[in-house]
Amino acid sequence: MNPSEIFFEDVAVGAELPALVKVPTTVQLFRYSAVTWNAHRIHYEKEYAIKEGHPDVLVQAHLHGAFLLQMIGDWMGPRGRLVRFGWSNRGRAIPGDTLTCTGRVIDKRVVDGQHLVDLEIVETNQRGEVCAPGQATVALPSQEARQ
Amino acid sequence: MLPSKDEIVQRPELVYPIGEVTALMFQRYAIAVGDLNPIYFDDAAARAAGYPGIVAPANFLTSVLGWQAGPAEPDLLADGTEARILVPEIRGLRLMGGGHDLTFGQPVVPGAVVTARRKLVDLYERQAKFGLLTFAVSDIVYTDQRGEHLVTCRETVIAAK
Repeated sequence: MNPSEIFFEDVAVGAELPALVKVPTTVQLFRYSAVTWNAHRIHYEKEYAIKEGHPDVLVQAHLHGAFLLQMIGDWMGPRGRLVRFGWSNRGRAIPGDTLTCTGRVIDKRVVDGQHLVDLEIVETNQRGEVCAPGQATVALPSQEARQ
Repeated sequence: MLPSKDEIVQRPELVYPIGEVTALMFQRYAIAVGDLNPIYFDDAAARAAGYPGIVAPANFLTSVLGWQAGPAEPDLLADGTEARILVPEIRGLRLMGGGHDLTFGQPVVPGAVVTARRKLVDLYERQAKFGLLTFAVSDIVYTDQRGEHLVTCRETVIAAK
């Protein structure tokens, strides 16, 4: 968690978000499948995953998204609000992979009193291959509103 | 042969009565992700952040694939997936999550009684280097007992033969 609060005025276009590194395990994948009621065998049965042409059990599509969201949440702080968030599953990931989420501010604007920041985000593996690219728009608190 | 766009939009939506969301449900979710943001666990921290109390992780509702008690194991497809949420054209194929676009409304709080409505919006094929892929695009809209919009997910599922 990033304990400090970020205000709209503090954010510059081009600024990088602090990276978040996740190393998913088979235990994590099992628990994620369990809490999401996802019985798809490619996520917990290695032999079955291999039969479908995968190297091992696969990190769930939504877990890639959750990692990216965690990075955004840590950066924007508790008073930030997500407006939109999207990602694509471009590359597979398996337990033991080192997944690094990074992000960059690509625009900021005020619309109907909302202080919006657009982010370009991506999750890559230890070989630098893209697993999940995405984009998000968040609303940040403004220093003006505080005064 | 895939159905035409006209046929697709005429298909009925699937309505899921998700029921009441509890703190335990979404806190287990957050723990499984490894995201220990206090706004999911600590009412005081959430209130200090402008929420009425703890809230669910933003993608909690949209990540849960099944909301009923079932299906029983014999009713799952061979790959473990649930036929009901898949359009007939991709049932039994090798499936992968393609992408998701979420638009957020009100935060999801404990006690929210949620309904989801799933509607197919597009179905198309693309030739990839490893064969023909089918893309099924659906919109899933989540609302609470007051009709407030919580989140909408545009989901793309990729199916390979």
